[in-house]
Amino acid sequence: MHKIADIEIQHDIMVANRKLADRNQKILDDSDVFSVDVLGAIGSGKTSLIETLIQKMDHKIGVIAGDVISKFDAGRFEKYNIPVVGLNTGKECHLDAHLVEHAFGDLPLESIDLLFIENVGNLICPVDFDLGSHIRMVVISVSEGDDTVEKHPLIFKEADLVVINKVDIADAVGADQDKMVSDVKELNPTVKVIKSSLKTGQGLDEIISSIEGFMNR
Amino acid sequence: MHELSMADAMVKTVLDVAEKNDATEIIEVTIEVGKLTMLNPEQLKFLLDVLVENTLLEGADINIVELPVELNCNSCEYTGLADMDDSDHYLAIVKCPECGERNVEITAGRECNVKNIKIEKEEGDEDA
Repeated sequence: MHKIADIEIQHDIMVANRKLADRNQKILDDSDVFSVDVLGAIGSGKTSLIETLIQKMDHKIGVIAGDVISKFDAGRFEKYNIPVVGLNTGKECHLDAHLVEHAFGDLPLESIDLLFIENVGNLICPVDFDLGSHIRMVVISVSEGDDTVEKHPLIFKEADLVVINKVDIADAVGADQDKMVSDVKELNPTVKVIKSSLKTGQGLDEIISSIEGFMNR
Repeated sequence: MHELSMADAMVKTVLDVAEKNDATEIIEVTIEVGKLTMLNPEQLKFLLDVLVENTLLEGADINIVELPVELNCNSCEYTGLADMDDSDHYLAIVKCPECGERNVEITAGRECNVKNIKIEKEEGDEDA
């Protein structure tokens, strides 16, 4: 004889990831490490910004470099003789809390106080996956088009800090940088939005003081 | 495109539960997906159909239920459904449907939940 049974599962993959993310944040807190999830599209300047921050910030910095093939970005960070872990996502378009937890095992957390986690270049998929970082910094560039914010609202809604990069070439690419700022503010009225150029140095001091402001909270 | 990894996780979850409950067949699966997740239900369904081949899930009805977006407004204290427009999910998260203010927090719509399954099993397997 057979019988039919209804079985309640209620297994939410997002909730499972969030639990891992909470555990990651506790690991970081226990080691007094402040962590920044750096998100943004391919070519927005995430890696260059982190390289600049490594040189300019007076902190013991470590980096988790997440990418489909991570050795390229990881190699750029290793030049500065800081702890770096490359995370290959392979076919995946985002980091998740489980991958990041693995990376912690290869990082000397006791000897750093600021950890940048460079996410995979993508404005869509990483939004769903909290990593356990303390803040999310989204880096976009004017060359992506000044409608980028409107097209990808959720990542900006959930950002703690937004950097609009490459503003020195805004006119050349026909992008209205002020529209990009106001589009972010429309979605996330209280978020700090900084216009920057890594070429000219515009906005860098503000980015550093904003990150340090979060660290000191 | 993270539908593949999500679909894979869902299939593993379902097969695991079915096995623990000594299922001889899985008849139906219900999956809830929030409208604000970065998942396309049609792509998810396609991948699930591929992944279930040659498993106990092959032939099961897979129901994907989309869950609405809900929010709390910090200005007027509205709590409830957001305005949804399937062609523009910007609208749902930008302002309160009650007072129009922008200071809103998303409280639902991000789910990706394997809710339940209906299985067939041998009579008498009550210890699962």
